[in-house]
Amino acid sequence: MTAELEIRSLVKSFGSQTVLRGIDLDVASGDVVVVIGPSGSGKSTLLNCINFLEPFEGGSIRVGGQSVGYKIDAATARRIRQPEKELNALRARIGMVFQHFNLFPHMTVIGNVIEAPVRVRGQQRDEAIASARALLARVGLAAKENTYPSELSGGQRQRVAIARALAMGPEVMLFDEVTSALDPELVGEVLAVMRDLARDGMTMLVVTHEMNFARDVGDRVVFMDEGLIVEEGEPEGFFTRPQTERAREFLRRLLEK
Amino acid sequence: MDFDWNIFVYSLGPLLKGCVVTAELSVISITIGIIIGTLGGVARFSNIKIVSALMRFYVTIFRGVPLLVTLLFLYYGLPAAGIQLDAFTVAVIALSVTNGAYITEIVRGSIESLDTGQMRAARSLGMSYGLAMRRIILPQALRRVLAPITNESITLLKNTSLVSTIALADLLRAGLEVMSSKANTFSPFAGVALCYLALTLPLLALNNFLERRYRVT
Repeated sequence: MTAELEIRSLVKSFGSQTVLRGIDLDVASGDVVVVIGPSGSGKSTLLNCINFLEPFEGGSIRVGGQSVGYKIDAATARRIRQPEKELNALRARIGMVFQHFNLFPHMTVIGNVIEAPVRVRGQQRDEAIASARALLARVGLAAKENTYPSELSGGQRQRVAIARALAMGPEVMLFDEVTSALDPELVGEVLAVMRDLARDGMTMLVVTHEMNFARDVGDRVVFMDEGLIVEEGEPEGFFTRPQTERAREFLRRLLEK
Repeated sequence: MDFDWNIFVYSLGPLLKGCVVTAELSVISITIGIIIGTLGGVARFSNIKIVSALMRFYVTIFRGVPLLVTLLFLYYGLPAAGIQLDAFTVAVIALSVTNGAYITEIVRGSIESLDTGQMRAARSLGMSYGLAMRRIILPQALRRVLAPITNESITLLKNTSLVSTIALADLLRAGLEVMSSKANTFSPFAGVALCYLALTLPLLALNNFLERRYRVT
């Protein structure tokens, strides 16, 4: 099976600081890969490179076989920036959910969900509304379609954000610490939606600190530290018998909390 | 005090005519100024260096030069260069361009104050930079600038009084003419003051309406 997401030797720095030092990662279609690791290990940066919200210096990323951000010029064999149009089309196929929701506060819930399908995909408004309603029902917010984000709880906002990303019919979903900004009692409702998505066969790359989610839902766990993938494997093995000292240390510190 | 009811009432006719000129001038200049300022504010973020540098230059010039000087320069200076514009056109240009410079800065500040997550979320959905600016960033930025733009508009309205120096029959000029023909200052100027005050009221009402309509949060 070919990988839906294929990352090779990815290198990224901010100024003089290198945050990703050669990442190789494949995510097969329908798989849920959970990325864990201490803060500052480059997990979020990795996600931001995948839809090119952050440019990168070296390596390559392919989504559904298509190169992200750069192309190799056939004549000179040099790396050139992907045309903006292609990049936008590619981003439309990659869903992203953010730690701080980033809902559009001047639009209602349903306005948030239909915005990109209507403006980017050119979908008919009533069609977009019908699919948005189905998505909102799926995340348990059918009754909130005319509400503004400011009137929702954090958990509800994050579920709207998931529906908004899903509305574009993405091939891959990226989750960037989506429960980290939530009150503890609201984490469950968001994770439940993500479990449901995983069960439906969505390809997902999830950066999280929720170890139970990683264990139950992840097909694979990737442990990152200092810009490198230090260890990866199926969750049960990783959590019970971590192979590297750094992973053991990280898990031990989590338990102490 | 030389207040005289008869002169006051007499002055209302000419003052009303002046009001019309002042109101026309204000509405046109405010509108053009807001358009310039919105485009200018966005242009300040342009990736094309020359565009953002030009906008910075524009703002520096027109915030730095007094409006009165711009007016006189355009009205008396340009004819020397062979460009003859009528007083109304000169007034509209000077007021719009000065106002546009201030609004450029207001809009720029407002865009900067928005969370960068808004642009990231929009781009992550496949929106182009322009679409994200138009649909996501500007509507939020413009909600935040309603109050400062209302302030600028009121300032502009009052600054239109400077156009009496280039022989435009505005409200102030009408008052000045009654003053000299009737040899009375207080009566026509009470009317002038009231008229300016009255003209600002629709601007305040519009601001209140927009703030309610667009739920400023």
